[in-house]
Amino acid sequence: MIRLVPNHALKIVRSAPVVFTFDGQSVEGHAGENLAGALLRAGRLHLRNAPANGGPRGAFCCMGLCQECTVRIDGQVVEACRTEVTQGLAVERAG
Amino acid sequence: MIYDTAIIGGGIMGCGSALRLAQGGQRVIVLDQGDLGQGASGVNAGTLSLQIKRVKLMPYALKGHACWEAMGKAVGFAKTGGYTLAFNAREAALLQERQTLKAQAGAPIEFVSNNQLRNGEPNLTQQVVSASYCAEDGYANASLTGQYYLGKLRDAGIEYRERCEVTAIERDKNFKLTTPQGTINATRILLAAGAWLKPLAALMDVHLPVQARVNTVTVTERMPPLMSTVIGHATGLLTMKQKANGTLLIGGGWQGLGTPQEGRGRVSVDTVRPNLALAQYAVPALGTARILRSWTGFEANVPDFYPLAGVLPGVEGAYVLGCVRGGYTIGPYISQLMGDYILGREPELPLFDPGRDFKEGTI
Ligand SMILES: Cc1cc2nc3c(=O)[nH]c(=O)nc-3n(C[C@H](O)[C@H](O)[C@H](O)COP(=O)(O)OP(=O)(O)OC[C@H]3O[C@@H](n4cnc5c(N)ncnc54)[C@H](O)[C@@H]3O)c2cc1C
Ligand code: FES
Repeated sequence: MIRLVPNHALKIVRSAPVVFTFDGQSVEGHAGENLAGALLRAGRLHLRNAPANGGPRGAFCCMGLCQECTVRIDGQVVEACRTEVTQGLAVERAG
Repeated sequence: MIYDTAIIGGGIMGCGSALRLAQGGQRVIVLDQGDLGQGASGVNAGTLSLQIKRVKLMPYALKGHACWEAMGKAVGFAKTGGYTLAFNAREAALLQERQTLKAQAGAPIEFVSNNQLRNGEPNLTQQVVSASYCAEDGYANASLTGQYYLGKLRDAGIEYRERCEVTAIERDKNFKLTTPQGTINATRILLAAGAWLKPLAALMDVHLPVQARVNTVTVTERMPPLMSTVIGHATGLLTMKQKANGTLLIGGGWQGLGTPQEGRGRVSVDTVRPNLALAQYAVPALGTARILRSWTGFEANVPDFYPLAGVLPGVEGAYVLGCVRGGYTIGPYISQLMGDYILGREPELPLFDPGRDFKEGTI
């Protein structure tokens, strides 16, 4: 197969790898990367349950509006799509 | 091209009047400095409550409710009923006095027992001393106002121009309006510029004693079902409802910062905080709710807090409609009356002379 456009993926300079936890399970990410993005890459799409009917919800707008990606960090409910990944970050389901 | 009537301001008052005038055979145009329905009409709390209407405006509010019901789904209308709460003896006395007068004015308001209240709204605080209920109350979605009226204007073949601020008004045989999109000529004009009425009338050297309030509304994240009706407080300092998507809209006339002349207003943390504290007192489960956004809008009033609806004092052919307390509720109706008046018909209910003596309380 011939690649018609340059492979930009090779040009991405990743920051240092870090490990954080989601509901107690280890997830690999990169320091400073977007938390919703890191979880998405790790296949963790189901971030919370809808308040009205309990259905599974995850990152939708990725810009801090829809509130479907909210998680709990240090007891605070925050938007995963507006949070940066750090080493040892403990992320829990918000509800 | 000379229009029969040029309407300055494309909020609920301007658009509603345009529809009536066009039905009556007039050729009208609606001009707005921004987009249609993005002033107070587009950012308000959308509460349709007879319990917070002024007694003398009750007949207008009742008719307004009927208009909203007829507009229905397209404006997000919901008739949920509504409770107004008192948390202590003083508030209970206030509630008793106010709601009795409103009931006498024709609003189907009743006082309810604690049991009725608990059955209706189980998530309310136990601290309620007395409560009134009105089955007619509900809400519509203000953010749909512009879209709704835009469609109506198009259907009726009414011309409108957005981003078309009127910056000068000249009058010889006709009115000549200066706008960034050229001069508009019209036989009559209707000033429906909401909180911007004062500077607009000043273009014709008419002084209208209009003041602008900066009301604040807050929306929460989606919550599990917490209430099914519109909840208010005896003082009027709280209105609250939960939308179908689970978000709660919280208002109550708390004041933000800024003036209409300076552009968009700003939210003041100092007033949002007590507003939310009151909401949380009424419904304790709100304690865990996160706030998504607070915003402000400008609401106009004159010293006696009654509408301006009639002839602009001293300028033949010029009319004004605005400063209506609860103007979202009453707007669709009073704009019809205004249209009828301009068409030379007798309005079904009396209008409110903009040339009255505001200090004397002549209404
Ligand atoms: C935050 C808030 C909450 C409220 N909550 C409720 C509620 O729950 N229930 C209720 O019944 N009422 C409520 N109200 C009141 C209600 O929203 C208003 O009374 C009503 O929308 C006023 O409509 P209007 O058409 O007069 O004004 P607006 O909707 O403000 O329209 C005026 C229009 O004129 C335009 N304009 C101004 N100057 C010019 C110019 N020189 N040239 C061209 N265009 C111009 C503006 O751009 C604007 O679009 C609330 C108001 C606010 C601000
Ligand atoms: S994905 Fe919408 S707020 Fe995060």
